[in-house]
Amino acid sequence: MQNRRGVMRGTLALAGGLALPGSLRAQALLGPAPPLVPMRLSPDQLIDLKCCIRPLRAAGPNLGTETVRDRLVIHNYGHGGSGWSLSWGSAEVAVGKALSVLPDRIAVVGCGIIGLTSAIVAQRAGLAVTIYARDPIQQTRSFRASGSFTPGSRIALAGPAGPQFPDQWEHMARYSWKMFRTMLGLPGEPVAFGDSYSLSDNPIERRTWPADPAIAARYETTGLPQQNSEFARLDSRIRDIVPQSVPLQPGENPFGTPYATRSSHMYFNFPAYSHLLMTEFLARGGRYEMRNLHSPADVGDLPERVVIHATGYAARDLWQDHTVIPVRGQTGWLVPQPGVNYSIRSNNMSAMAKADGIVIMNNNPDLGEMLGVGDSMELPNRAPVEEAMASLSRFFWPADQRGAA
Amino acid sequence: MNRRALAIALAGGLAMLAASPATGRGTQSGVYTTGQADEGARIYAARCAMCHGAQLEGTVETPGLVGKFVANWAGRPLGNLFAYLGRAMPQNAPGTLSPEDTTALVAFILRANGAPAGSRPLSPDAAGLGRIDFEAASLAR
Ligand SMILES: Cc1cc2nc3c(=O)[nH]c(=O)nc-3n(C[C@H](O)[C@H](O)[C@H](O)COP(=O)(O)OP(=O)(O)OC[C@H]3O[C@@H](n4cnc5c(N)ncnc54)[C@H](O)[C@@H]3O)c2cc1C
Ligand code: HEC
Repeated sequence: MQNRRGVMRGTLALAGGLALPGSLRAQALLGPAPPLVPMRLSPDQLIDLKCCIRPLRAAGPNLGTETVRDRLVIHNYGHGGSGWSLSWGSAEVAVGKALSVLPDRIAVVGCGIIGLTSAIVAQRAGLAVTIYARDPIQQTRSFRASGSFTPGSRIALAGPAGPQFPDQWEHMARYSWKMFRTMLGLPGEPVAFGDSYSLSDNPIERRTWPADPAIAARYETTGLPQQNSEFARLDSRIRDIVPQSVPLQPGENPFGTPYATRSSHMYFNFPAYSHLLMTEFLARGGRYEMRNLHSPADVGDLPERVVIHATGYAARDLWQDHTVIPVRGQTGWLVPQPGVNYSIRSNNMSAMAKADGIVIMNNNPDLGEMLGVGDSMELPNRAPVEEAMASLSRFFWPADQRGAA
Repeated sequence: MNRRALAIALAGGLAMLAASPATGRGTQSGVYTTGQADEGARIYAARCAMCHGAQLEGTVETPGLVGKFVANWAGRPLGNLFAYLGRAMPQNAPGTLSPEDTTALVAFILRANGAPAGSRPLSPDAAGLGRIDFEAASLAR
């Protein structure tokens, strides 16, 4: 039976254990792991739904440059499901290109995580920066992400991205990782680590996506990826720094499921993180101006001669870059629950504790990266979130107590 | 500051006291017909209101199409708005509006932002629309 007692089973098993294997013996010496505070996944806790479009660009993020009406435009958009995770590394590349023409001031168009981080990297290099954007970061798509370190999520299609891209990606991912580490332990925890448990009745294996030969169509023929095997898979290149999941012994599994893994995952608390970046931006003399560009030619109206263009998915319409593919995603948000500082995932339904609430996601495990591809309907749908909450409740509460939790 | 104009603006949120257009006609001179705006209202209710709101008020996440909207689009050729709607909206099915429907929607949005109707219809002709100024409210006359 999986119920409230399940959360404590690991503790009980340890206390009563006799012949303990090595890792457990060490734990026994130190005493049992403290029990986890159970999550309340009842419908009354659901206070927000957010929907967002990931800007997947087939060839990977656009970091190219072009000249528009004597302005040097440096692109920095199209980061798929990895915009937060790659923000520092991507900004470093873009700002490096700006610095190479020796400006003393630059413009940044867009104030999502990519634009704002680019602005700060430029300021740290001594440049005066004005951000021109339709919305401040709290109202951008960036604020509607889930917000974990997932640098390889829907970042490119392997073929169109070409053979150079993995190296550039790795540079950006490693650079970002180190920069996030400089933000750990700060007030409000803009960046934090948490334990993430994967729970299952069956052995947990990493899913692979071999190409299905029956699917002949592909991005090159349709403009949209047709199956998972077309996506670039890059995460293994940085497995030396990013914690990998470890299988839990029965006595170590707080949930009492037949199989479980645990990993330490890095995540971003959007309110504290955005506040920190905006504070630094303004303290360094940055200027924010509400401005909506209607066409690429509009950069010619900006006083700055060097412009970093970071409008995310909107670049599809502003710059008319139709290689930007919409990938819809949504999250549900529960009231923050003090003491709950971990995440669980089962059958690709997940609940992840963050400072501004517990994030619920329900991602069909059989679709993988294809979920939401080509879908630009940016209104949330409540039912899958409630389904995930009801399903994950079983790890905490017996059936007759669910909802009353 | 003209205090009466300000009062009108605050009361209705709609005062579009014409700033004189730099080029050709401006949207204060009656560039669409009531029939077009009515047709636009019907299309809006069916295809746009679910995201932008029945009163065009928007949400935290989806821009509204009144108020701040004017700051985003005014002082520019109306053709910009026409082109954007045609290629980007409705966001869940971009590129599916006919030029006539797009013109009707532009008329509806203009009316919602206080621009008067006229006797001549707005024509779905990109060059012509490029010569019409989207005029902003001017409170300081
Ligand atoms: C459900 C979901 C979960 C996600 N989870 C993660 C995750 O866990 N980790 C991760 O790293 N990434 C995640 N992502 C991806 C991440 O959200 C994006 O890659 C990122 O937000 C892109 O940021 P951006 O700054 O490029 O764009 P945006 O956040 O969209 O910002 C664009 C900016 O440009 C401005 N703008 C747009 N058009 C114009 C215009 N015409 N004129 C002037 N300004 C304009 C906007 O107002 C805004 O300020 C997730 C995405 C989704 C949808
Ligand atoms: C699925 C939701 C959705 C639907 C339906 C939709 N829109 Fe939008 N609209 C948006 C979003 C989101 C944006 C912001 C676009 C971006 O940032 O890429 C937007 C932007 C706009 C803008 C630009 C606003 C500004 O201030 O820059 C206009 C104008 C607009 N929409 C008009 C329409 C019209 C007219 C329709 C109906 C034909 C429509 N929209 C249907 C979601 C929607």
